[in-house]
Amino acid sequence: MAKTAQEKIDEKAEREYEKHHKSHIKKSFGDKVFDVVNHIFFILFTLLCAFPFYYLFINTISDNSMVQKGQITLIPRGININNYIMMLNVNDLGQAFIVSIARTIIGTALMVLASALVGYLVTKQEMWHRQFWYRFLVITMYFNAGIIPWYLNMSMLGLTDNFLAYIIPGIVAPYNIILVKTYIESIPAELEESAFIDGAGYFTVFRQIIWPICKPILATIAIFGAVGHWNSFTDSLILMQNNPSMYTLQHRLYIYLNTSSNLGQLMSGGGNVASTAAAGMMNMKVLKYTISMVTVIPILIVYPFMNRYFEKGIMLGAVKG
Amino acid sequence: MKEKTDAPSGGVVNGLLHILQRVSAILLVVLIFLPGVNPGRITELINKNVSLFPAAISYDSLTAEMGRAFTKFWVAESTIKFLFAGSIVLLIGILCAAAAGCMSVGNNRLKRLGGLIGIGGSVLMIIGLVIIYMSYADIRQTPNPDRVNPMFPSGLTVYAILVGIFTLSNAVATVMVMMRPMENRFWMESKYKLFLMFLPFAALCFVFAYLPLWGWRYAFFDYTAGGSLTADKFVGFKWFTSLFQSEATRNDVLRVLRNTLVMSGLGILTSWLPMAFAIFLCEIKNVKLRRFIQTFTTIPNFISWVMVYAIAFAIFSTDGFINTIASAIGMLPEGTAGTNYLLSSDGIWVKMLLWGIWKGIGWSAIIYIAGVSGIDQQLYEAATVDGAGRFQRMWHVTVPGLLPTYFVMLLMSIANILSNGMDQYLVFENKQNTSVIEVLDLYVYHLGIGNGNIPLSTVIGMVKSIVSVILLFVANRVSKSVRGESIV
Repeated sequence: MAKTAQEKIDEKAEREYEKHHKSHIKKSFGDKVFDVVNHIFFILFTLLCAFPFYYLFINTISDNSMVQKGQITLIPRGININNYIMMLNVNDLGQAFIVSIARTIIGTALMVLASALVGYLVTKQEMWHRQFWYRFLVITMYFNAGIIPWYLNMSMLGLTDNFLAYIIPGIVAPYNIILVKTYIESIPAELEESAFIDGAGYFTVFRQIIWPICKPILATIAIFGAVGHWNSFTDSLILMQNNPSMYTLQHRLYIYLNTSSNLGQLMSGGGNVASTAAAGMMNMKVLKYTISMVTVIPILIVYPFMNRYFEKGIMLGAVKG
Repeated sequence: MKEKTDAPSGGVVNGLLHILQRVSAILLVVLIFLPGVNPGRITELINKNVSLFPAAISYDSLTAEMGRAFTKFWVAESTIKFLFAGSIVLLIGILCAAAAGCMSVGNNRLKRLGGLIGIGGSVLMIIGLVIIYMSYADIRQTPNPDRVNPMFPSGLTVYAILVGIFTLSNAVATVMVMMRPMENRFWMESKYKLFLMFLPFAALCFVFAYLPLWGWRYAFFDYTAGGSLTADKFVGFKWFTSLFQSEATRNDVLRVLRNTLVMSGLGILTSWLPMAFAIFLCEIKNVKLRRFIQTFTTIPNFISWVMVYAIAFAIFSTDGFINTIASAIGMLPEGTAGTNYLLSSDGIWVKMLLWGIWKGIGWSAIIYIAGVSGIDQQLYEAATVDGAGRFQRMWHVTVPGLLPTYFVMLLMSIANILSNGMDQYLVFENKQNTSVIEVLDLYVYHLGIGNGNIPLSTVIGMVKSIVSVILLFVANRVSKSVRGESIV
């Protein structure tokens, strides 16, 4: 993705600033020491953030017997992807993966649509008691009834042990609505007005003018929404108590990390000779590592592409309306 | 915006009738979701937490507890199917009534269409209610009344009254509308059009953000899961006073309050770290390297706490990275098992703080990094001219430039002092560290979901919510008086 104009300007300014300073000031010895220490600190901290993922990864792609003996610390050896293929046989993991994918896609799509539409509607001054209804939405960010009343409410609505519990409550997201509203308010009003004069209705204006213009902000909230859905764990834990087929991947990972049962019990067809033999190539440690990787890989894959949206997101958060 | 094509509207009587029609339609829609008034609960075998909505959507929700009743022929399956059909018809009728209510804010032509739909809805609702009543009459014939417990659903009366009000007001209003001149096309004032588009979302917001507050009533009853809230179970403020009077509860609450405050306090004491991180990171002038560092240090923010625990497991557990290294360099004698560092409760507060920093610092720093680039370059130049060195510039120009942002963050973290979430502590919790790791949110979860003590956990959650709102309000006031800007 191309850098935004703003980022380019920033970087140019930094370079100029740097050049400017270099020409005027000779670095003192203390400055140099500081620079070295500073660089070392940040490189170490970066390693601290990245190494655990690398360590997990090399342990899942190395020869399992060497992993078991603790011989894999820094470099992978005996590289293979059998462990990932074995994941297909782990009980309930595929189901959990599907549930997580489904809630991420459906939940995010509906949330984005709703945020865009509601964000647009609340910018319309002529809406019946607009101010009241806008506050009605926004105020919900600052209080919550608590986890138990929330749970009782969900069970009253028939949303326990039900996939819809992942989707419906997340559709109206006040914070995202504010972001969209603020964004739309920054668009020149003339664009819309000309469409109205041409006889377009609200829906037409929304579809053909507002939606395309809002794409950058919608992409940002979509990404945050998707990460939230993917990582969400407590709703599965609390609401799906009697329906393990609706557990999310995070919930499954949590269960597997804490399990002390042996491999045979976790793999499909526990008594089956072939799968037991196949399971023999694995061990609990590798199994846990591999499930962890399966859970985190989607995030790691999208992260580099989405980084700039993430950063945009936090800056948008700073200007609330 | 558009030329007004509205014919003269009706008089006061017509207006009042429409208001009656809309209010009864709204009430009908709300009642769909309240289990207490499910008109289809004709036997105690139907779960009393099932409202009309699930009853009309899923047949299983009706028959969940009926396996035995069916096999022993206490209840004929056809009766329940009949009841299910009645619920569906009633639900469709209510949806028609809601549509009629919405259309009644339009012009005469739209009002007429809505009125006709409403009349259709009335017919459907009445049919639905009759079917439900007939299935009730049917189930009374059960050979085993003691086990089936047929009961006349009180919800049926409530629905019948509301349906009656709706039917009358809608029919009369529609007739009155029809006597007036009709426009050539449908039309509605844009303020109502916009509002009707907004309405479904307001309803969702109400259901998921406001309705849970209704659950606070559990705090005043002796309620056990699956029980009911009847007047004789009302206990007033018993659960509130038990917080102070029951010694076991009091000790538990004090313990989790201490954990919560210590961990939040440590968070507040270290809340300047992201700012320092950002300032020092900005001293790295190589843009590529800086972006590289920024990218990698932000990743942990986007993984779940379960995943953080998975990483902790890979590094610190019995055969994790630390123990592997220790045995490789001979620190761990051959044959001895490694230590599982995750089990011990030693220094758990600091450990939790460090995990929090590891996960969050890169992300929290971004806002300060943006702040640094927002500082006027002339300030730096002026400082340089005045003979300020590098550190003096950082301290006297950068830090003051970032302080307003820091102040907001600090106030927010003080306002959230009681809410440190439960994910992190839940995943790191085990038998050995539970007494020091259990924070308020986690305690409420254990108490309510684990032990089923719903009233007491509701009380604690309620007090917490109220205190949090007050703290936020105070923080906002402080911010307003100090900076002249509100934070919420």
